[in-house]
Order: sequence, then structure tokens, then C-alpha cells
Amino acid sequence: MVIPWRLCRRLMVGSAAFPKNFCVSNSGSAGGATASSVLSAGRLARQNSSILAGYNVRSLYTTSNICSCKKASSDAKVKDPFTLAQKDLKNLYDDIRKELFVSKAELKSLCEYYFDGKGKAFRPMIVVLMARACNLHSNRDGDLLPSQRSIAMISEMIHTASLVHDDVIDGSDTRRGKSTINEVWGERKAILAGDFILSAASVALARIGNTTVVAVLSQVIEDLVRGEFMQLGSKENENERFKHYLEKTFKKTASLIANSCKAVSILVNSDPEVHEIAYQYGRNVGIAFQLVDDVLDFTSCANQLGKPSAADLRLGLATGPVLFACQQFPELHAMIMRRFSSNGDVDRAWQYVLQSDGVQQTTYLARTYCQEAIRQISKLRPSLERDALIRLTEMVLTRDK
Amino acid sequence: MTLLRARLSCLGSLCCGRRDISFFTNTSPSNWSKVVSDAEKIVGYPTSFMSLRCLLSDELSNVAMHVRKLVGTKHPLLNTARGFVYDSKNNLQMRGLVVLLMSKAAGPSAASPDLLQQDMVSGIYPSQRNLAEITELIHTAFLVHRGIVNLKEWTNSDGPLKDMQFGNKMAVLSGDFLLANACTGLAQLNNTKVVELISSAIGDLVQGIYYENSSAVEESCPSDDITVASWEEQMFLSHGALLAKSCQAAMELAKHDKQAQVLAYQYGKHMSLGHKMNSDLQPFLKATAGEPVSFSLNSAPVVFHRQIVGPESWLLQLQQATTIGRQLDYSKLWGTIKAEKGVSSAIDLCCYHGDKALEAIRCFPPSEARSALENIACAVTKF
Repeated sequence: MVIPWRLCRRLMVGSAAFPKNFCVSNSGSAGGATASSVLSAGRLARQNSSILAGYNVRSLYTTSNICSCKKASSDAKVKDPFTLAQKDLKNLYDDIRKELFVSKAELKSLCEYYFDGKGKAFRPMIVVLMARACNLHSNRDGDLLPSQRSIAMISEMIHTASLVHDDVIDGSDTRRGKSTINEVWGERKAILAGDFILSAASVALARIGNTTVVAVLSQVIEDLVRGEFMQLGSKENENERFKHYLEKTFKKTASLIANSCKAVSILVNSDPEVHEIAYQYGRNVGIAFQLVDDVLDFTSCANQLGKPSAADLRLGLATGPVLFACQQFPELHAMIMRRFSSNGDVDRAWQYVLQSDGVQQTTYLARTYCQEAIRQISKLRPSLERDALIRLTEMVLTRDK
Repeated sequence: MTLLRARLSCLGSLCCGRRDISFFTNTSPSNWSKVVSDAEKIVGYPTSFMSLRCLLSDELSNVAMHVRKLVGTKHPLLNTARGFVYDSKNNLQMRGLVVLLMSKAAGPSAASPDLLQQDMVSGIYPSQRNLAEITELIHTAFLVHRGIVNLKEWTNSDGPLKDMQFGNKMAVLSGDFLLANACTGLAQLNNTKVVELISSAIGDLVQGIYYENSSAVEESCPSDDITVASWEEQMFLSHGALLAKSCQAAMELAKHDKQAQVLAYQYGKHMSLGHKMNSDLQPFLKATAGEPVSFSLNSAPVVFHRQIVGPESWLLQLQQATTIGRQLDYSKLWGTIKAEKGVSSAIDLCCYHGDKALEAIRCFPPSEARSALENIACAVTKF
């Protein structure tokens, strides 16, 4: 059981064996596991190993050129994804507020609280870029279909609804630099506001009128809840613990991005291969995004993320950096199992993590997910939007907040 | 099977003793239970597997394990969880039952060739059975979310704050779990009109219950703008919209025409409102003077009373019924309300809704299922 972990560490000096072995150990223990994410974590690793065999890590961005036979854009021309998506996202928050039909003023202000235009709109950005990339790939002009724009909106609404509920579950009092809804209006109203945003998202989704798209995004809602449940328990066995962590990460973060990307591809193209490319891009970027988030919880100063650092430890959660650190410092095991509940656990765990290479290993893992995302999206016909999605993976890795 | 028994006993262990908790506050038990149990026989098996699947899922049995830690605390989730076990036989499944009866009363689809009559079980399409389950899931999810406690209002004398935080966490998660299952179930119906209808009903429900418990704060300064009309609108959102829209959706699933959909909606709406009036009236009809009574200041007779006497007199009456310890003497207030016409006005409104429900259901062809729905509508107006 320990073998893959040892290999993990060796990998840090450049061995391409890591993902393969990681995969073997994973699928071995997965046995009859049904969770698609576990299996696909294995699949990913397998695919990554082939990437790694051909390219070294530094050639990350050259992969984008592989399929660009009629290459129109050079790296110099690759636009910043945020700028490129801007025209489609201009009135996003206004439009979301229009979807929230509420008669009571107070409930309305709760529901609109986080749609103040100050969010990054990270999910809608990926969704509109993916939509345009798929449209161009499918021999259409790049223009966004109204239904695809709705998906961008819905993705942000589902994300926000889950944030509102998460804040109650975690007892958070600040988010994005302001007080949380539960802090201002109380837990009961916060939960109802979250429910309302979700129902409005669901109405907007139904109005698109596509039953497949409804099914794809309903899966997200189920994944979000199951991911939250997974966060309640800790696994005794280390390999299972890591698998559990990656599966939770998929469900809580990546499923929304993956399935929103899939939804916009379904709306323009009937080819299941294209749906799979969109889905896999979203899934891999989503997992990488969360891994980096978990790293930032240790490396970023307080307030930069809009939450105190080591917040996860304080909540009793063992994320990537801790799980890797536990390999070097087995003392962490007991702390993980008691969810850092004893006095001084949080500080000690924090020290161990910083002394270990847990942060680097997690970053490395995020990088392999990004490489897979690039490999997937590169199967689409070249376009400004496609290249922006490639560029986006780099931004996911280098962001500091 | 052992797994099943273990999990059910796990849930059962929550229910130490109290069997009398009911969400659908019982009206006239003997009559009502008979009407419901007779009706259950008509629709064949009353529950499909969806609620069982939820109850036996890892997630909810996980919650059940955790909720046991709450025994002895005052978290409302405890009572709700008890209800899962003891009320599943009758009242909890009421809404699902009405959806099933309505489906059966409307009969097979005349218009759509792709709906096969041989798929029907006891005259109900599988999709309609799933819809009935979804309706129950949503209803239950909000029973759970209604019981979220505001931690800042919690005082130490009420018990440890930690228990309440934990109870909230469980309540949020299990309510979300039920809602998520409702969402995936809805998606599987493959009808976006139904998804839209039921999703909007969830929105209605939230708007309806949003102000429900805030009346506690308003008690000190009763809001003067409350009228019977605005109150009824509120009651429709919290107690009628889900059933009305589910009944309509059941018609849509069988491709019945617009007229049948409107009638089904009307039945669901008026039946629910009649039932709500009926349960609001119970404390004013069953108790005799001198007995300890409790009722909501937001219940039908009180709202009528307030409108009849006007805001000034109402404020005065409230002051007169307030003891030195700032406690409200409900027995005294009860007498005051009984002396006026609020109760009889509420009875009139209850009968109005019962009649409207009857009127709607009688537009369907006569059948066993129709009779059962008529009986339910009649039972609502019996006191």
C-alpha cells in the first residue's frame, strides 16, 4: 500500500512512473467502486503517463500546437481568457437577478447578495469559452446560442447556492470580503435563500427545453451533496483516503464545471466524442482548480483568499498537502483521524505540512490534471477560445488568490 | 435484509416514546385516517421505491447515526426524524397519495400514442408514481430545512450551542440530499414542462415558509398590513402550491389537455388550503374554556379576528392578554377570539375551499379514485 506513495515522492525528481503506478494502485483498490470519478482518476493517470512519456513537464504548452495544423494563432496572440469571455458575460449578473422572481424584498436581497458583480465568474467564463470553441469546432460561427448563455448563468447560480449552504455547514462568517448571509440574516433564512436560488436555476434549466441537458446538470446537484457528505468521514487506510479525497474534490468542485461544459457541447453538437472532450476538460481543470485552492489554504496569507488560512484544517479537513505530508510524517495520521480536534493539532499539522513537500506534490498533481485538460481540449479545432482555455489551465496553476 | 433492518432500527432508536408527532396536524383522526387508508387501497402499492432508496442510502443512514447524538437536545431535526418513522404510514405520504389518485381519476392518455396503457399499474403511469414520490421528497426536504435553528437566537440556557451547530449541519445536509434526489428524479421524467412546474413549486414553497417563524419577532409588534387576502396568498405558497402543481404535472405526464391540468391544479390548491384551515381551526373547536390551549397567531381564525376587530383593538387585546412576565396568556386570548366572528369566518372559508375542490374533481368521469378524492375534500370540511 505504501509503494505508490514512495513512488510519488520519487516522481518529484522527474520519474514518469508516478501516474502509472498511482493508477495501478488506485484501480486495484477501487475494486467494485461505482463512483465514476475514482475510475476516471485512474483513467486520467493512465493518459497522463503517456503524455509524460513523450513530453517533459516544461513542454506543457507546446501540446496545444499538436493539433493546430491550420494554426491561426501563435502563443503571442493567445488572449487572456477573462478578456475574451468579457463580451458574453457583460450582463451576466443582471440577467441572473432577473431570474430570481421574488416578491418579498428581504428574500430578494438575500438571493441577490452574492450576485453583486464582484465574483470572478470563473465558471461562466469557462462555459462561454467552451461553448464558442465547440460551436466553431462544429462548423458554425462562434456565436453563443442563447441556451448556452443560460448554462453559463445556471452554473454560477448552482455554485452560489452551494456556497450559501456551505457557509452554514462550516459556520463561516465572511466570504469574498463581506459577511456571509448566515452571519447577517441567520442560518434558517440562509438555507432558504440557497434553496430558492437552486429552484430558480432549475426553472431556467427547464426552460432550455432539452431533457439531456436537464439530466446532465441535475447530476451536478446530486454530486455536490454527495461530496459534502464525503467530507464528513475520514478513511483509516491511506490509499483509500487519497481516493476519497480526489472523489470528493471531483464531486464538490469539478462536477459542476465538467457537466456545464458538457451541457454547452450537447446544445450545439450531437457527437458524443465532443461531449466527452468538453466534459474531460472541465473535469480536469476543475480538479486542478481545487487542488490549487487546497494548496493556497496553506501558502496564501490570511485574507488574500477572503478566508483565514489553514481554514480547512480548522474545519477538520485533510486536503492534498496534508495527505502527502502524512507520508513523510506519520504522526499526522492520528491527527487526521481525529480531524485536528485536539489542542494544538492545527498548528502542529500546519508545521508538518510546511516542512514536508506536500505543497509541491499537490501542485505537481494539479499540473498533471492541467496537462490532461490541455490534451483533451486540443482535440477541438483551433480557435481563439480553445487557445484561451489552454491558457486558462496555466492561470489556474499560477493564481495566488 | 439484515442491512435494512439494522438501518430501520437505527432510525427507530431515535423515537423514544413520542408517537404523537404529526406534521399534518390531525383534524378528526378517525374520519380522516379512514378516508386516507381507503384511498391508499385504490392506488395499489402506495409508495414506490424512491423514498425507500433514499431512506436506505448511505447518506441518510449516516445522518441517522449522527442524529442519535442529538437525542436529549432541543434541535427540531430530532422531531422531524421521528416523524419519518412514525408518520410514514399515513399523513406524511398524503401529498403523494393525492397525486396518485388524481392520476388514476384522469385515466389513460387519449392523445399520446407513445404512452402505453400496459405500462400502467393500477391505472397509473410509472412516471406519475415517480412524480408522487418526488412531491413527497420535496415536502420532506422542507420539513427538514424549516427546522434550521438561528444560532444567534440560541441562548445557553437552551442547551449547548455545539449541539445546535451539529444539528443544523445534519439538517442542511439531509434536506439538500432529499432535494438533490428530487432533482435527479425530476430529470428522469424526461419532460421539461414538468421540471419547470415542480421547480417553480419549490420556489413558491421557499417564499411561503420564509416568514413563517419570524412571527415570533412580530408578536411584540404585530404587523398591521396583514389582511386575509395577503395571508391566503402566503398560505397558498407554503401549503398549496406544491400539491397544486404536482397534480397539474401528473396530468401533463399523461398528456392530458390544458383543461384537465387546470382542474387538477384547482383540486390540489383548494384541497390543501381547506386542509390548512381545518387544522388551524382545531384549537378553537376542540378545546373547551379553561383547558390549556396553544395556537399560532398566524392561524386562520386569528387572522380573521384581527381583520374584524382592526389593528388598534387587536393590539389592545394582545396587551390585555399579556401577563406581567411578558408571557402571552393564550387561554385569555382564546376566549377573546372565540367571542368574535373570526372562527365562523374561518369555517366559512374552509368550506369554500372544500366546495371548490369538489367542484373541480367532479369534472372528471366517475370512478373509485374520483370518489376517494371527493371523500378527502369532504373530510376537510368536517369538524
